Amino acid sequence: MELLRTLSSVGFFERSTLIGSWVMPIYQELYQARYVLKTLDVDFAVHMAHARKDLRADLEKIITSLGFTEYLSIGGVQKFSSGGYEVEFIAHRKGGLNDNAVPVREWNVIAQPLPFINILTEFSEEAKLDDFIIRFPIPEAFFIHKLIVAQKRKAESKQLKDLEQCSVLMNIVRDDRLHRVVQSILLSRDTKRHIRNSCDDIGFPLRRLGIE
Amino acid sequence: MKVAEKDRVVHGMLEEEYRRCKDALQSLQDKIERYPKGTLNVRKKQHKGKEYSYHYLVSREGGKVVNRHVARESIPPLRDQLKERDKYKKEIQSYKKRVAYLEGLLNTSKSRRGRIEGSSRHKPSR
Repeated sequence: MELLRTLSSVGFFERSTLIGSWVMPIYQELYQARYVLKTLDVDFAVHMAHARKDLRADLEKIITSLGFTEYLSIGGVQKFSSGGYEVEFIAHRKGGLNDNAVPVREWNVIAQPLPFINILTEFSEEAKLDDFIIRFPIPEAFFIHKLIVAQKRKAESKQLKDLEQCSVLMNIVRDDRLHRVVQSILLSRDTKRHIRNSCDDIGFPLRRLGIE
Repeated sequence: MKVAEKDRVVHGMLEEEYRRCKDALQSLQDKIERYPKGTLNVRKKQHKGKEYSYHYLVSREGGKVVNRHVARESIPPLRDQLKERDKYKKEIQSYKKRVAYLEGLLNTSKSRRGRIEGSSRHKPSR
């Protein structure tokens, strides 16, 4: 909670968002989408401003001052750990397979690049948590993101977890917002196939996404 | 979702958590090596009626206790580094406990442990 409050105070949530399984409790609170499983890694999708953007807040310094230890993973991605909790920043990867860690000057962190993260940052909303504001993806963006990535998972259990979250969210997503999200994505044949397969798996009608 | 599938999700999450903890533990152990090891001690000596204090970094190396003199100007940064090392040590302890707990939960035999650690070190997506 202290971490979220601090990130909020430096303006991180103006454009960047909380992602991963920690979003589900927010959906439960706001939309009554009940899902109890969450991991100890807390992920943030960091909005990438211009590569030469000046430092806005030194998150490395700020997070370590909260008692977190900082280290680099094998892939060179920066992580922060405290009491088993692990904080990581994820950046949008624009196509290709280049998965080199991405330095984010604006916040002085090294993020992990992953595809389709922009869906989560571009379609997000804010909520007041205690006395501060937090940003998170709208359920429709989270839902579509999961439909896509579920089929890309190597581990079957992770795919099942993604689809299970989708099964919970399919009861609260709105068609108009789903259409808006889908229309913003450049859908390759593979991506369409991923979405179709995930929809089949959870029994969600594809037409609700506005996809033929 | 069926109960059997739910179990696979939970089991998968535990395996993923186990892998994450092992990776984190390794990275933290690599990092702690960069910090000086030991305790800062002061020795006081009297000479011609005056008292002088000398700072030493006391550590254990290969079963022997080694005292290394620390220059006065190096004391504040060394204190900070030792403090930082303690922070990492604490974090490593918490991960070790967690790994042991997860090993118990997953009932991991040595060969199975190797399989979990070896597969998917990289997260493909959130």
